[in-house]
Amino acid sequence: MSNQYSNEPMLEMYIFETSQLLEQLEQAIIASEKSSSYSQEAINEIFRFMHTIKGSSAMMLFNEISALAHAIEDLFYFLREQKPKTVDYEILSDLVLEGVDFIKVEIEKIKNGDEVNGEAALLIDKIKEFLSLLKTENACVAELKRPEPTKNQQYYIAVEKKSGQLSKSIYKATVFFKEGCEMENIRAYTIIHNLVEFTQELFYIPENISENDESIIWIRENGFQILFKTDKSYEEMHEFFMKTIFLKELILEQLENDDEFEKFRVPKKIIIENSEVKMPKVSAQLSKDNVVKETTTTSNQSMISVNVEKLDKLMDLVGEMVIAEAMVTQNPEIEHLELENFQKAARQLHKITGELQDMVMAIRMVPLSTTFLKMHRIMRDMCKKLGKEVQLEVIGEETEVDKNIIEHISDPLMHLIRNSIDHGIEENEERLEKGKEKAGTVTLEAKNAGSDVLVIIKDDGKGLNKEKILQKAKENGLLEKNENEMTDKEIYALILLPGFSTKESITEFSGRGVGMDVVAKNLAVVGGTVSVESIADRGTTITLKIPLTLAIIDGMNIKVGHSRYTIPIITIKESFRPKEGECFKDPDGNEMIMVRGNCYPILRLHEHYRVHTDIQRFEEGILIMVEQDEKALCLFADELLGQQQVVVKALPNYIKNTKKIRGVAGCTLLGDGSISLILDVGGFSNSYAM
Amino acid sequence: MPKILIVDDTAFMRLSIKTMLENNGFEIVGEADNGKTAIKKYLETQPDVVTMDITMPEMSGIEALSAIRQYDPKAKVVIVSAMGQEDLVKKAIISGAISFIVKPFKEEDIVKTIKQIAEM
Repeated sequence: MSNQYSNEPMLEMYIFETSQLLEQLEQAIIASEKSSSYSQEAINEIFRFMHTIKGSSAMMLFNEISALAHAIEDLFYFLREQKPKTVDYEILSDLVLEGVDFIKVEIEKIKNGDEVNGEAALLIDKIKEFLSLLKTENACVAELKRPEPTKNQQYYIAVEKKSGQLSKSIYKATVFFKEGCEMENIRAYTIIHNLVEFTQELFYIPENISENDESIIWIRENGFQILFKTDKSYEEMHEFFMKTIFLKELILEQLENDDEFEKFRVPKKIIIENSEVKMPKVSAQLSKDNVVKETTTTSNQSMISVNVEKLDKLMDLVGEMVIAEAMVTQNPEIEHLELENFQKAARQLHKITGELQDMVMAIRMVPLSTTFLKMHRIMRDMCKKLGKEVQLEVIGEETEVDKNIIEHISDPLMHLIRNSIDHGIEENEERLEKGKEKAGTVTLEAKNAGSDVLVIIKDDGKGLNKEKILQKAKENGLLEKNENEMTDKEIYALILLPGFSTKESITEFSGRGVGMDVVAKNLAVVGGTVSVESIADRGTTITLKIPLTLAIIDGMNIKVGHSRYTIPIITIKESFRPKEGECFKDPDGNEMIMVRGNCYPILRLHEHYRVHTDIQRFEEGILIMVEQDEKALCLFADELLGQQQVVVKALPNYIKNTKKIRGVAGCTLLGDGSISLILDVGGFSNSYAM
Repeated sequence: MPKILIVDDTAFMRLSIKTMLENNGFEIVGEADNGKTAIKKYLETQPDVVTMDITMPEMSGIEALSAIRQYDPKAKVVIVSAMGQEDLVKKAIISGAISFIVKPFKEEDIVKTIKQIAEM
């Protein structure tokens, strides 16, 4: 979100709430569409959402959004009240979703600080047309006015009171309301409602103040005129009228006689109305329920929404605390001392910081369900546009990932789903010919695997074409290895390279060759990887592997000369000191070692990082076998220093921007205050490993 | 400082009204997002004026209004309504609402209205 608006809590709240409502709206519409009917509940819900969006958008002066929401609200009001039988639900869904999309786009503009200049006029017209069509097709009895007008009331005559008639004063009041206060007729009604208690022979113009527009316009132009008799003095009546909310002007005259009342006193039309003034039945019912008593609390979990910035800060602080803890408990000054009590306290401290860390991580974890839900919409749109029938199966959406990661998964997922439907799933006829079910299935699955989360997109389409891929790679000069030596997996992985696409023509959705490598890049940002598997005519499976936690890892500290490095523990398979003569060189001059029948390349860290160390012979140092992405190698270092929980800090920008350092994932502070570089085993593996 | 209770089912409206009123010398003593909570909060906080949204799920503004008026006949409740809800607003007036304001409104409108009502 643009920082520009971080000082505007109201705008942020508007964006947040409206975005949430839009998401819920979308779900409601898609669900209704699936079941080919809009339940009363769904109609009510959609009506309320649009009503709310209309109101808040108007308050924030986003008038196009408000007008659009209003049009849809009117449409659903009609559906709710008239319950028409003939409705084209497909068109209805399309219209509303179009509206949702418009508002989404405008909200994005608001978030980015761009001009909110979308015009909804065309769409509003379409919606209004649809509504008129509905009305004619369902032959509504009367023009549905909102709200329903109450009985036409011509005159009002108060119940005669017993007190003496002759001492009554006669008044004529003309009231003007402030511009823009709206519903002047109801404001007029309020005055009358308050007057009846102490007046007799009360008349007013205009008479039909319960009607809609006409009386409002009259009141705006001519003021609201009231003629009445009362015991009260002029001052008292003046005070009474001056209390009117949104009063602009009052003209109060005391009259000599009641001649002006004559024109209202037409005997035949006298209607004595008492019901208007009575307290409504609502209160009688409520007293039975006795709502004033303590009501039971709702069964909802109490949830609280927290600003993500605050969570990020909390994470940072916890990270700093872990480092600070290490600096205390592993301080060189106490390194060689035997401090039993201190150690006990240090262990307790460590336990608590560990729990705190876990808790903060857990707070930041968000289930993938919201992201997965969005995929339904994409499915629907794509199926419609391409004329294919595809079902989306979702498994494991309750799996949680860090909030940061969710944002980076959304786009890649969308692209992959699009690919599956566009490239993977065949047309209906073709599928039937192959003996498959007419409707294709795309399965979206999420599950935990160790310290990673796997997101798997599987389709039962026609699979990837190895020959075509190799062909295209050759054409674009993307083949690094001899094609005969490549495994299937490596061939499929070619599609992740930039500029790759075997599609003949570019559709609106795919074929431009910018998709898969962007997916891989997006994943790499959060430390994830993409792998592709496929079987011809059976389907394609794409697996995204994402690490659960980015920031705090278990690391093994190692020493190379005066430098310190940290290796993520999960990548370490084993460590050992080789015996003299165990290591050898391969035909190319690379150093290797055999371990239990397998050959592993050796990487001398002191050579790689050009660090001076006295330990040059293998038998004097230590070999650490590490593995990532099924590629393994052995790192040669001076010695192991010990295990530590380490907060991963990114390398400062001035380094990142100057040179990309392969094999370094970040840095961290050790207990003695020195800096340790965190090794990225994957970065080594790509160049050295088997 | 007059004490105000804000009742509306959307957080956005509650925040808007709260911001506008707090900037103009009012004290917000409570917020509620439905009719039932509104009644509870009224009893707890004993505000001088209540702003009440008229369309809320669970228990409507009008029902809450009636309940509050029953408990405290002197309660001053201002209805916040959208355009086109004349019928509901009229019902609210009959049920004892002291006045109403229509969305979208400007800051000065609501401030003047609440001020006037608080002083009554």
